[in-house]
Amino acid sequence: MQANTSPELSAKGSNAAAIVSVQGVSMVFPNGTVALKDANLEIAQGEFISLIGPSGCGKTTLLRLLADLIQPSSGTIRIGGKSPEEARKARAYGYVFQAPTLMEWRNVLSNVMLPLEVMNFPVQERRARAERMLALVGLEKFARHYPWQLSGGMQQRVSIARALAFDPQLLFMDEPFGALDEITRENLNLELLRLWRETGKTIIFVTHSIPEAVFLSTRIVVMTPRPGKIETVIPVDLPQPRTFETRETTRFFELATAVREALRKGHGYEVTE
Amino acid sequence: MRISPNLVPMLVVALVVLALYWPLMYLANIPVAQRALDTGAALPCQTAFECATQLRSPVLPSPQQLWNGFGNLMFPLNSPNAIPINAAVTAFETVVGLLLAAVVGFFFAIGMVASRAFERALLPWIVASQTVPIIAIAPMLVVLLGQYGVQGWLPKAIIAAYIAFFPITIGVAKGLKSPDPMALDLMKTYNASHWQTYLKLRFPASVPYLFTAFKVAMTAALIGAIVAEISTISFQGIGKMLAENSRASDVVAMWVIMLSSAVLGILLVALVNWLERLLTPWRRTSGGAAIPAKQARLSRREGVG
Repeated sequence: MQANTSPELSAKGSNAAAIVSVQGVSMVFPNGTVALKDANLEIAQGEFISLIGPSGCGKTTLLRLLADLIQPSSGTIRIGGKSPEEARKARAYGYVFQAPTLMEWRNVLSNVMLPLEVMNFPVQERRARAERMLALVGLEKFARHYPWQLSGGMQQRVSIARALAFDPQLLFMDEPFGALDEITRENLNLELLRLWRETGKTIIFVTHSIPEAVFLSTRIVVMTPRPGKIETVIPVDLPQPRTFETRETTRFFELATAVREALRKGHGYEVTE
Repeated sequence: MRISPNLVPMLVVALVVLALYWPLMYLANIPVAQRALDTGAALPCQTAFECATQLRSPVLPSPQQLWNGFGNLMFPLNSPNAIPINAAVTAFETVVGLLLAAVVGFFFAIGMVASRAFERALLPWIVASQTVPIIAIAPMLVVLLGQYGVQGWLPKAIIAAYIAFFPITIGVAKGLKSPDPMALDLMKTYNASHWQTYLKLRFPASVPYLFTAFKVAMTAALIGAIVAEISTISFQGIGKMLAENSRASDVVAMWVIMLSSAVLGILLVALVNWLERLLTPWRRTSGGAAIPAKQARLSRREGVG
């Protein structure tokens, strides 16, 4: 079932240092929908993993399972050796949602400080950390603005800064750029890669854009619906650091084609929703 | 200064109402004036048209009579029989009632959000409490409270609270439930406690709903306070003035007091509006054009698109 085609990465994935380990995980909702069937996945420290597939393939379900926002019907998940619940309670991951979900009554700086307040960071440390995170996403000049004064892309950058504020090792991102226009999205893709290199986080990124997945990832997990399952895992060997030109290389097109064919093989292309 | 943009349209409406009222007033009063002339009453006027604006007990008072009545009832400002002090007493009862209602409303709203069972058990009774005519329940409440030595303005405030807590309960419950499921998930990823989720998310999210509820509740509370004053023994308040002048059949005074209580209502709601602007500075200024303009200015200054 598990089709990890890279010997190097599968070796990495099977060792004990895997930061995320998913074994035989299924998710059946109370209405009988099989959202995820027998998923297996090992993710090593520092990887950038994309989960791609059409609506209903279980990619968001898988991410929510990892985050302990829902609990699996069967199977085992380990996050840094802990159960998802323990990992959540240990604040092991930051989560970026489809929408920025900023608190409209808080300004940008105060939004980034929210997790630090909830987690009882020392008062003096909160501001310094939040300012550092805003600088990281290039929004230090907007610290005093309210969310409605920012564009959608800027709001999503604030929510990324917020997810990184308490320095989790893992970053879960659920179609964070899905609502943005293509140009903004490509810019943010570049910026996200820079962030990933600078912080050394492990990122698990849900998307339904093939170019986005190929551009960002070290490995792409292709998922198909009815029932939601992992079709295959495609390693991406595009050199780092990736630039705007990366998208114009032959290898980029080959990989995009490979993803597209994997989706078609699992009937991921004929979904009407 | 903030009110000035509203003032012109408000005055236009007042003028239109006045223009419609004037002929209506003649229509209503001329038959009465004619009858008075026919009975040979000593009137300082000859024709029914002329007398229509000068009747002692008009069906509808003329604007001139209202103006004079207003002058009589407003001054002296510190007189216990003039409108200012009585309006202040009623306003005080209304505001205290609203604050009491806010406490009770929050209590019920939190209960309703925290527990479906609580909501199902109590909501029908809360609705039922609002269908009892306030004019019927007010004297009984006053008698009951009087048993325990609660007298004066407090029973009126409690009756005001009795009608005001309903819109506040419903509004705050809606506000507490308003956060997006994603925002609730976000708090869960932080492993936030229930209390933290209320403090950092649910309470702030409910503030705009609270102010909307306050505006509805404020007008309800004002009516509650006035009705309570009318239907119980009162020594001060708009309701007491209405009751007195009703007994004296002073139609003009009744109208003046009614219009004054309307103005009081406008002022009290304006107070809520003012507090809302003060306490929710993050909310976008009304008027759609302000936002793109601000955003454009911002983008130019910071060089982003």
